[in-house]
Amino acid sequence: MLRLLRKVVQTGQVTLPYPFAPVEVAPDFRGKPVYDFSRCLGCGACARACPPQAITVEWSAQRGVVTWSIHYGRCIFCGRCEEVCPTGAIGLSQDFELAATRAEDLVVRAELQMARCPGCGEPFAPARELEYVRASLEAARGAASPVLAARLQLCPRCRRREAAARSGPAGRRQGGGSR
Amino acid sequence: MQSETAVSQGARSVVESLRARFGAAVLEETWQAPDQVTLTVALDALPEVVAAAYYDCGGWLATVVGNDERGLHGHFALYYVLSMEQGQAPYPWLTIRALVPGHRPQFPSVTPRVPAAVWYERELRDLFGLEPVGLPDTRRLVLPDDWPEDLHPLRKDAMDYRYRPEPVGEAENYPFVGPEGEGIGEVPLGPLHIAQEEPGHFRLYVDGEEIVDADYRLFYSHRGIEKLAENRMDYDQVTFLAERICGICGYTHSVAYAHAVERAAGIEAPPRAEAIRTILLEVERLHSHLLNVGVAAHLVGFDTGFMHLFRVREKAMQMAEILTGGRKTYGMNLIGGVRRDILKDQKDAVLRLLRELETEVTELVEILVDTPNFYARTRGVGRLDPQIARDYSPVGPNLRGSGYPRDTRMGHPYGAYNRVPWQVISETGCDVLARTLVRCREIHESIGIIRACLEEMPPGPILAEGFSFKPYAVGLGWTEAPRGENVHWVMLGPDRKVYRWRPRASTYNNWPPLRYMFRGNTVADAPLIVASIDPCYSCTERVTVVDVRKRRVQVVPYKELQRYCREQKHSPLRD
Ligand code: SF4
Ligand code: SF4
Repeated sequence: MLRLLRKVVQTGQVTLPYPFAPVEVAPDFRGKPVYDFSRCLGCGACARACPPQAITVEWSAQRGVVTWSIHYGRCIFCGRCEEVCPTGAIGLSQDFELAATRAEDLVVRAELQMARCPGCGEPFAPARELEYVRASLEAARGAASPVLAARLQLCPRCRRREAAARSGPAGRRQGGGSR
Repeated sequence: MQSETAVSQGARSVVESLRARFGAAVLEETWQAPDQVTLTVALDALPEVVAAAYYDCGGWLATVVGNDERGLHGHFALYYVLSMEQGQAPYPWLTIRALVPGHRPQFPSVTPRVPAAVWYERELRDLFGLEPVGLPDTRRLVLPDDWPEDLHPLRKDAMDYRYRPEPVGEAENYPFVGPEGEGIGEVPLGPLHIAQEEPGHFRLYVDGEEIVDADYRLFYSHRGIEKLAENRMDYDQVTFLAERICGICGYTHSVAYAHAVERAAGIEAPPRAEAIRTILLEVERLHSHLLNVGVAAHLVGFDTGFMHLFRVREKAMQMAEILTGGRKTYGMNLIGGVRRDILKDQKDAVLRLLRELETEVTELVEILVDTPNFYARTRGVGRLDPQIARDYSPVGPNLRGSGYPRDTRMGHPYGAYNRVPWQVISETGCDVLARTLVRCREIHESIGIIRACLEEMPPGPILAEGFSFKPYAVGLGWTEAPRGENVHWVMLGPDRKVYRWRPRASTYNNWPPLRYMFRGNTVADAPLIVASIDPCYSCTERVTVVDVRKRRVQVVPYKELQRYCREQKHSPLRD
């Protein structure tokens, strides 16, 4: 009993005054993922990796937009999104105070324009993603020929059609299939 | 390697003795690894072969897996996985497999021969619609009592994973079993808690203050994660889902799952990754054991001790935060290794916290066991008889308190456990005291393991990459969780998915023998007994007390039962 009393006295008060004073977290703490719209391509890699589907990416061909959204209520702070994002548009912060009085306040949503195919006029990929692919190709191989650059803007269906036309009897005669 | 040949020799001698006894009934023998063999047996011979392996060859039931393989070969498959513990560790795994024809979904029950199979077989009936012929207990285990009769969720063609049938009614209609007598009335009332805030319905049959029998209904928090994993997630995502099995010891599930997939795919995580996994597993054990010892202090009325143990436990949470970025050791695994290395600063900070924690725990545990009340309340209470233990294959400190030095870390070494010095802890008291002491001593082993791993971290990468997955390959993964052995069984599927994932949490094996541990104790000790298996029922919500002599049913509120346990005055059962 005496030992216990001594322990109690030795220890003193351990309760922190939180929330009236901030608490410190470890340097590599994994908190709320923060989204930077200006860097986001709308590629959806984060949504595919996110284990609890806190991040979703939906395409609406009708409206020609990609809707990116995160629901913080579902997030497990694993950081898979940060790991797979090609541009650093999403990354974990040290913020852990996520309490909200309304469920809607836990959702962040963004809309990105889709590029329309010059062949058929259908939207088929986020415009920024397309631009990112173009720029990466350019960085790796130098500027593309105008023919290739134009081909990149086509949707997969029109590109197939174009390729078929090129490699068909007429196409082969012209040697259009080669680079 | 010396031990590898010894372990495969052990497996071979078990196979030989089973072949000698059952000859033609053994249809096929396949080896998954030097320490893992599967025997496919004729369905009729299943109970005999499992019983022979269990009782005559040192087998303990690790898990039973049902799998709908009709799409592959027209049958359901049953896998009874046993750890064969004869002679010296390490031990081999033996899987007895039998096929159940799709058009005749029934199989002879193993439970009459090996009681440990009871929950598994009830579950097979619920989730796969496979009827265990001869199984004495015909009640549901996992599915709610108002779930549609012919809907078996884990059949591949049963339902969409998001389907939720409307509840039929509010009434509780689970048939509890207890001593029969003329006119014993039973009125289920509640809800309330018994030891911790989790859902479960307990019914204690009492004669005055003494418990003569007990029954319980659990699985109120069954979430169907196996179905979710099969349908919606890829194999890497399941490592994160596996952690959600438990809010205390989840990381250990993630490791067991990752090991299962890695073994199925023939991947080896780099040694550094395994050392990191081992450190995190032991940090998890530290905070889990400190929680349980704290709860034990609270229940015997020693609240100051409880508070101090929780204060010290905070140091383990800080270690987790430093090492993983979260207060739980979660989100660290991928198939093939871990996602985060341990750097010098982090190592130093953790070693410092370990020293502080060690000194304080030693002191607090001494104070706790010196409290006069502590021995009086825990000795001889909630006895887990060694024979009951042998029959039901319980695991962890629960079993080690009854004289069996069984620990998966030693029995089937994984991670870095065979590279650092440590000891299996066991006690012989068979009671609440023994189980608590096992945990107290294991805290020190964990500290030693973490220290040794941190000081001798193998260099190199932390994640193996660039492997391919073979659909329908099978793998077994296991860990010694704070509550005992966890076993995960995986069959890989196409499209980066798991075809079947069967996690078996430690407490699953600890519930069935609990009934026997209640008998002969007083109602005031019930919370202590439940807490002493350190249950993980994602909490015991309702207690109904049935007095068999007075034929009276009474519901005791949680607060009241807990108060009675702590004060032992003013029985709630008196009028
Ligand atoms: S941190 Fe994990 S759970 Fe949260 S959004 Fe990112 S991937 Fe999803
Ligand atoms: S991975 Fe990055 S760039 Fe792609 S959608 Fe997610 S946040 Fe945007």
